[in-house]
Amino acid sequence: MSFRVKLALVFTLTIVVAVALVAWGVSTYTQREFERIDQRHTKALTEQFTQEYAQRGEEVVRRVTGIKESQATTSMAIDLTGPRADASRYVFEADGLAKSNQLDFLDFAGDDGSVISSKEWQAHFGYKTDWVTAGGHDWNQQGAFLNRTELPDGVALSLTAVRVVSVNEKNLYIVGGVQLDKEFLKTLVLPEGMRALLYKNLQPGFDPAMLTDVNGSVAQADRIAPLVERVQKQGAGAELTVQWNNDPASAENFHAIPLLGRGNQLLAVLLVGSSRAELVTLVSFIRQLGVIVGGAGILLGVFMSVWFSARITRPLAKLARGAREVAAGDWAVRVDARSRDEVGQLARDFNEMTRQLAEQRDRLVQAERVAAWREIARRLAHELKNPLFPLQLTLENLQRARQQTPALFDEIFKESTWTLRAELDNLKMIVTKFSDFSKMPAPQLQHTNLNDAVRNAVRVYDAQFNVIGRPPVTPELYLDENMPMIQADPDLLHRALSNLVLNSLDAMPSGGVLTVRTGRGDGIVGVEISDTGAGLTPEECERLFTPYYTTKRMGTGLGLAIVQSVVSDHFGKISVESAPGHGATFRIELPVRPPGASNNFDAGRTAGTDTIPRDEAELVKEKRRTESVGTKSTLGLGE
Amino acid sequence: MKRTFLRLGVLSSVAAACLLSGLIIAPARSSERPLYGGVLRVEIRERVNSMDPRGWNPDAADADATERLLELVFERLVRMNDAGQPQPGLAVSWQHDANFTRWQFQIRAGVKFHDETVLSSDTVVAALQAEDAARWNASAAGAAVVIEFKTARPNLLVELATGRSFIFRAADDTVVGTGAFRITDWQARKRLELKANDDDWAGRPFVDRIEIGLGVSSQQQAVDLESGKVDVIELLPSLTRRASQVSGARVSASAPSELWALLINPRGSALYDSHFTQALSLAIDRAAIVNVLLQRQGEPAGSLLPQWLSGYAFLFPAEANVADAKKIRAEFSASPLQALVYDGADPSAALIAQRIAVNARDAGINLSVSAETVASGGANDADVRLVRWRISAPDAREALKTSIARLNGAQAEAAFLPLETPEQRYAAERAVLDRGRIIPVAFVPEIYAVGPAVKDWMQHRWGGWRLEDVWLEQKPRAATAAGAAGSGTGNN
Repeated sequence: MSFRVKLALVFTLTIVVAVALVAWGVSTYTQREFERIDQRHTKALTEQFTQEYAQRGEEVVRRVTGIKESQATTSMAIDLTGPRADASRYVFEADGLAKSNQLDFLDFAGDDGSVISSKEWQAHFGYKTDWVTAGGHDWNQQGAFLNRTELPDGVALSLTAVRVVSVNEKNLYIVGGVQLDKEFLKTLVLPEGMRALLYKNLQPGFDPAMLTDVNGSVAQADRIAPLVERVQKQGAGAELTVQWNNDPASAENFHAIPLLGRGNQLLAVLLVGSSRAELVTLVSFIRQLGVIVGGAGILLGVFMSVWFSARITRPLAKLARGAREVAAGDWAVRVDARSRDEVGQLARDFNEMTRQLAEQRDRLVQAERVAAWREIARRLAHELKNPLFPLQLTLENLQRARQQTPALFDEIFKESTWTLRAELDNLKMIVTKFSDFSKMPAPQLQHTNLNDAVRNAVRVYDAQFNVIGRPPVTPELYLDENMPMIQADPDLLHRALSNLVLNSLDAMPSGGVLTVRTGRGDGIVGVEISDTGAGLTPEECERLFTPYYTTKRMGTGLGLAIVQSVVSDHFGKISVESAPGHGATFRIELPVRPPGASNNFDAGRTAGTDTIPRDEAELVKEKRRTESVGTKSTLGLGE
Repeated sequence: MKRTFLRLGVLSSVAAACLLSGLIIAPARSSERPLYGGVLRVEIRERVNSMDPRGWNPDAADADATERLLELVFERLVRMNDAGQPQPGLAVSWQHDANFTRWQFQIRAGVKFHDETVLSSDTVVAALQAEDAARWNASAAGAAVVIEFKTARPNLLVELATGRSFIFRAADDTVVGTGAFRITDWQARKRLELKANDDDWAGRPFVDRIEIGLGVSSQQQAVDLESGKVDVIELLPSLTRRASQVSGARVSASAPSELWALLINPRGSALYDSHFTQALSLAIDRAAIVNVLLQRQGEPAGSLLPQWLSGYAFLFPAEANVADAKKIRAEFSASPLQALVYDGADPSAALIAQRIAVNARDAGINLSVSAETVASGGANDADVRLVRWRISAPDAREALKTSIARLNGAQAEAAFLPLETPEQRYAAERAVLDRGRIIPVAFVPEIYAVGPAVKDWMQHRWGGWRLEDVWLEQKPRAATAAGAAGSGTGNN
């Protein structure tokens, strides 16, 4: 993955995370704010209910007190204390008084608590309401309270007040109240999205029929059961969220407020419901907006990331490209260094570095060239000095023989002429070798069988393996018969292999074994030539392929240099592995299909005439590289 | 003769009232003489559907109210007095053979129908035959009508004095009678307006017209009485105290003529046992119901017929005994009686039913109380139904026979029960009550509140109106009804 892509991804990821964090933050803040508003509404509603409850209680007290102080009640109280009191006359009294005073419930009870008249249950006359007479209440001083009021068909909740009229130490109790039901709930002013439910806790457990809202019964009332049961168990307020159907917008928060009666008995639970539809809609809107804005932001971010990363990495890419060109040998490359930031400084440093490297290379080349000329001069002097000295001696010997022994002059002349001719031939050979080395031809690639090349090279020296007077050398060939055809110049290959075989023969003056192996790898073939000679020191191994370097008394130092040149021209590698006393092994690796070889290799193989253009071979020749590690020296192309 | 008797009755009543109350009545008032004229306004709760005697059904819900209105327009051959004795009506005399199989009625002469047609024996025969041709074989014999039977009919006079035995003349689509009032405006279920029949053989009624409002609620009636819009209203027991507080108004009650009772439906429960009915009967505090809910307008009932009619009602106990009721209830694991229904259209029924349920609960019998309406079609499968039966016949035999016949499956039994003597009637009544299909609760009278302008208001002992004897005091009425002058009160 490129640096630009990584940078773009980092930028994009950063933007995505930032957008997600903002969306989450907004959503969380909104939800928290909604909860806060919801709690504020609930609190306001609770306060409103409490206030309404208190006001309603005061109103009930006022109405019941009004009945107490009415002429009709006073007359009734007086009449009932008489000796012929007839309570039955007043059995329907409560109905009219309750209606005129807007009370849902009204009971008149005698001194013993017996019901004289009941608005809500007229048939209940004569039955006692013990709670009114029990406990020594000063009812005239007490306010309204939540009460269970028995009805013919059940029990109702009421906000009740009790007042007493006393005549001749006999009490007439007036018990009046208003029903706590859906009509009461209707009087509560609720914010939009909120509603109030009333659960009448008139029996243990949860009874759905006891739950009512402003419209009467509540659908799916069972869903409220856990909340009511919690209040029943704990006697304190509680909360519950109910989702009425699969739609999250149907969810509703319920806050339960216990309503206690006399003796702190839990008689009812007020449930304040607050719809979460608004919140869900808002969160949904925020999410949609977040997705749209986030998507647009991400797209913009991706675009900006690509643009920024491209802008940031462009100098770096140029640097990388420049570095690659330098690595490829183009040391003259320069990158744009106009910016003043760190990347610009890096570019300037790179340019300076390449400039200095180029200068050092030029100096090195110059130094190597001087050293090479010196070595050539030394070699030429050495090579030429050897035959020149016998020539000088032979000429001086001829001069002395003519002066001192003219009789033997002819014989000496004949011998000296032979010597002179031999040394001149020697000089000629030296010149020829140098000439040949300077004239190394570009390889003409064609389909070549490496095994055949090996066999031909060894066959050249068959006669020398068993020369009389010299210990024999035994050739051993281990050739891979499945070797592929390679693209090579067979003449140059033969020349290189012959040099190596000859080199091995020279290394084994006392005889030995010459082992030649061929093998193949992934796209390459190899040949290994080993001898059992005296071996080489590490220093010798390092300099072995240097031109004109030789360890032989009569060598020119050009044989292995030629081998190395041939191998390099075929884009191959050559190495040597040796240790003193353990012989030496030369390994050559050649590509089956060298770079620049003709694409119609198969056609060429059948035709046997495929060649690499000379210009191309000349180009790749420039890319050779020398490598030497320990006692193992390797020569070949860099790429 | 009738007027003389009436005047004597009125004067004697006033004198007796003065003596009893110790009040000194001004001589001027005691000497007041009946005045002709004026419009008597009456309101009733029932919505009467028809004023055609041919379509009158004694078993219909509005039968009593319809009969009361029909009796103002149509007459029968025989009348019953308060003692239950037959009196001449359109028949001035009658005679029968020894076997009570042939009766001959002498038709009153000079009687005219409201369309001026003279009443004849042929018209009477036609009316009787139209009423029920299979019931009797009637024929005209000069000015007499002969009615023959294959079996003895000793109580024919009672039959002719009650029920559907109205004499009418049907012409075209109209039906006319000979009664004291003739119909001038009839709006079914809403209003009936009558005009005094100047040619009434018994003498012209005192009032000129009668306007009867139908289907008026009890509360509205009370309001209308208080405001002077009406002169006579039906009165619920719960409103008697209120009505008595209206200046000059008075409450008039007949002898107990209606029976509140619980009908037990054995089909309603497989667990039914007559013994359990006894527990429910013992649990009911009838005295409290009568004294409080009915404001002492009535008497506790332990029998089917009231004491004044049967003479033996005291033999049937009506006192509550919750302890015994509990004992009997304890013999049953589950209550076979669970639902008590009442007539939702009857304003008194709800209270009585609820009180019975409260009493029953004391004995461990839980009854759920609900109203049945015309719309609901009646809950025939209810365990217990609170009913109010009118004891229309002033004859104990006919009244008991009718009551027994009303019980489920007892119609045939009622037809053949020997009910001639009080002993036979007691035995029959005892047998019926022991069967546990009916629990008498209370006898109640017909109660009316009568405005101060109404004079000589009287009812039959068993209920029913005598509007032909009523007259209206004009001055007080004019003052009282000043506010309602716009309603067209037309006193002469």
